[in-house]
Amino acid sequence: MKGFIILSNIIAVMLLPFLMTGIIRKTKAFWGGRYGASIFQPLYDFIKLIKKDFVVSNTTSAVFRLTPLISFAAVITAALFIPLISGNAIIDISAGLIVFAYLLALGKFFSCIGAMDTGSSFEGMGTSREACFTSIVEPAFFIIMGSVMALSGNYTFESLSKITENAGSYGVLIIIFAVLALFLMVLIEGCRVPVDDPATHLELTMIHEVMILDNSGFDLALISWAAGIKMLLITSLIAKIIIPAGSPLYALYYLAVVLLVSVIIGTVESSMARIRMSHVFEFIFIMSSFALIVMSLTAARVFGG
Amino acid sequence: MILYILSIITVLAAWFFLMPKAVTALFTGYPIVKTLYTDGIFKDIQFVLDPLSAFFTIIILVMGLLALIYSKGYLKPYTEKGKSVTSHYIFFLALFISMIGVVTCQNALFFLIIWEIMSLSSFFLVIFENDKKEVLNAGVKYLIFMHISVLFLIIAFAILSIKAGSYDFSTFAQVLKENNTFADVIFMLFFIGFGIKAGFVPFHNWLPEAHPVAPSHISAIMSGVMIKTGIYGILRILSLTGTPSKFIAYFVLIISVISAIYGILYAISQPDIKKMLAYSSIENIGIIGIGLGVGMLGLVHNQPIVAFLGFIGCIFHILNHSIFKNLLFFGAGAVYLKTHTKNMELLGGLIKKMPKTGALFLIGALAICALPPFNGFIGEFLIYFGMLKGLSINSFFNFLILISAFSGLAFVGTMALLCFTKAFSVTFLGHERSEKTENTSEVSKTMIISMGILASFALLIGIFPELFFEILIMPVETLMDLNGITGVEEPLAIIQIIAMSALLMLFIVTLLMYIKRYSNKKTETAPTWGCGYDRELPHAQYTGSSYASPFLSMLKPLFKKIFDIEKPRKLFPKSAHFSLKIEDIEEAYVINPLLKFDEWFLSKFEKLQNGNLQDYLKYGLIFLIIAIIGSFFSWSFTGGGF
Repeated sequence: MKGFIILSNIIAVMLLPFLMTGIIRKTKAFWGGRYGASIFQPLYDFIKLIKKDFVVSNTTSAVFRLTPLISFAAVITAALFIPLISGNAIIDISAGLIVFAYLLALGKFFSCIGAMDTGSSFEGMGTSREACFTSIVEPAFFIIMGSVMALSGNYTFESLSKITENAGSYGVLIIIFAVLALFLMVLIEGCRVPVDDPATHLELTMIHEVMILDNSGFDLALISWAAGIKMLLITSLIAKIIIPAGSPLYALYYLAVVLLVSVIIGTVESSMARIRMSHVFEFIFIMSSFALIVMSLTAARVFGG
Repeated sequence: MILYILSIITVLAAWFFLMPKAVTALFTGYPIVKTLYTDGIFKDIQFVLDPLSAFFTIIILVMGLLALIYSKGYLKPYTEKGKSVTSHYIFFLALFISMIGVVTCQNALFFLIIWEIMSLSSFFLVIFENDKKEVLNAGVKYLIFMHISVLFLIIAFAILSIKAGSYDFSTFAQVLKENNTFADVIFMLFFIGFGIKAGFVPFHNWLPEAHPVAPSHISAIMSGVMIKTGIYGILRILSLTGTPSKFIAYFVLIISVISAIYGILYAISQPDIKKMLAYSSIENIGIIGIGLGVGMLGLVHNQPIVAFLGFIGCIFHILNHSIFKNLLFFGAGAVYLKTHTKNMELLGGLIKKMPKTGALFLIGALAICALPPFNGFIGEFLIYFGMLKGLSINSFFNFLILISAFSGLAFVGTMALLCFTKAFSVTFLGHERSEKTENTSEVSKTMIISMGILASFALLIGIFPELFFEILIMPVETLMDLNGITGVEEPLAIIQIIAMSALLMLFIVTLLMYIKRYSNKKTETAPTWGCGYDRELPHAQYTGSSYASPFLSMLKPLFKKIFDIEKPRKLFPKSAHFSLKIEDIEEAYVINPLLKFDEWFLSKFEKLQNGNLQDYLKYGLIFLIIAIIGSFFSWSFTGGGF
């Protein structure tokens, strides 16, 4: 059983991030009236990038060269703590959410200093925004997780699948708002429209893309993979909430959720423009307010009788 | 130089005598008691090395020695200029010994005396560069705050000793356990007194003033060790009162969350690297306080595992903070020594000239952001875990406070990330921003060694947390009863798993490095992609203030910004400048008005000081009469007789 979990999770982490990006792009192509590239295109891009040589800025130090490796290692280690396609995490511990969040933060720390190492003002701009947005996203994430875990008295990610069991009539509402908040988190952390635009080449409006302007080859491949994994991990939390606990067809449902989320992201990207930078905060605060709603509903359920 | 050797010998002697005892006390849990019998007013003075004291003693011994090693390189330019460091080392030793005294002495009167020696000696250490006006100003401010602190302590200890009829700490416990309201009042007095030393908001104002002006090894000792004596005081009182009241527990938790958030917010806004570290000390004191608060809540609600996790998180974070904060202050001192500026906006690109300092500072920054695989994460994780478990306590108010603290700590963590990515990258990475960094080189070996030892501690605790966890259970035992507590194994097992996964991560990094190195790809160097601009513009780099700007503008009302702008005018502008100073909001809106009122009020009495000798004699006479009448009254109230 354990072997199956490890194997399936590793395969999921290896393939699904690319497929997600591919599906998002395909959806965008569909809404744009194009055929678009194959959904495996991101994977081909990845393989191509690995084969390429490096171009490194002469301003940079060892920090810049270490950054992609450490960010990637941090994200992949964080993936161990999240229940993926098998419905179980490889490392299933209480309070795993904190380890998960801080490992992602480690990745973020390095991507920030790596970008600043190039001495480019554009990359500085992106870094400063990225660091700032995280500071709003993280507390909201902790509120949601804290509430859900308080509800079940179980501190592993298993508590996510037990919301309906523990919350009774409030369960549906809690699920709706928690899923909405996590979906916004996918958009923010995955650097998608309307927070960020992964497709644009205009440096001033980008956040994540501008931070990696100077990365190339193997480094860039790792970074794009890590970004995909991050999106997949949060999507997996959504899947864990929606799919009933102990369902025999968990893997199938899981793939459906991943597909659905990707299609929705693609649709959102095709249907709206990126928000003006000064208004992105307001957008992120929507997530915070959803988190507060989840918290109030939990409190109402536990203490309101 | 002779004095330096003498100081080393003294510190080593202290190691020799105290280290074995402290280690035994910490490992076995049996307190070692030494009593000084005096006939005077002190009665018997007891020095006790119980696990809690031993824990603090070990920190003081280690950090004191490291600071002393570091100081050799740091003070060299000063001695070369002919400045005398004799008094500096004498006061250093006084501070070192008095700190050990504070954490071991159990006699209230003697405690206060040592406490005062500690404050005074650190004051003289702070004003090392006493030819600068701002140094003296900061020093005096520090002195005043310390005396407000000691005032509260004197009141609290006086009340307790009168009630208990003895100066001995162990007799206080009974008095405190008899009456809950009384215990609350006393605890509050102690909390304010010790809280000023520790730097809890709103008693923190001295901290960001005194730390930056002191020599760096002194800032390190003050921030890493001395302010912890305030925490020690609170813990000691807590061990005497036993289970606190609900009000006190919530009060400590709330004020700690506020301290943590306030501290890190201002740390982000500071361009001065040492001031930034000083504010971050306030943040970390807040985190320690959160652990303490969670522990107290656990005691109040009779949830031993929550209490245990809170307390051990608190103790862990005390150890961790003293390690990484010393490391960071040492690093900042190295930068200051070579560049003669503490303003990060003038630095940049230092990692190429000071690679070792840069790498060690990076480790410190990672540890203080509580990122695995370093030590900071373990302490914070235990506190988080305690809060998560505490959420299930069946009380609405408790749920509300704890989940705010839970997300508050996450907020603090992400802000620390912003703060330290900014500090590290603006100081060490990118292009050089000014001529300040031109003639810099790596600092001396002794400084690197002391930083290196701290950095290896940081990694060691992060990778083998279970060893330290088992040792640190002992100090927790002085705070709560651990008999019959269940579920201690769970956090122990979890931090082991965390350490394993951290190791796995390091393994993945090494693997990737290996792959990258042996994939035989050509590496070409080129200028940074300038997005169409073909020339590098070092001064157009992102600065620290522009880095923090989006975040700070989001929280505008929490800062008082003082702009100094001269915009470029006309076609050929001759001059233009921009500077931004961010003032502490509490200082601007609470302390300064209070001082103004004070000045106004006291000016009413200016007439008394008229330089007329006859008038002064008259005052003396009036005072004597009042004193005589007063003593007569107090004599008759106490029933007369001699």
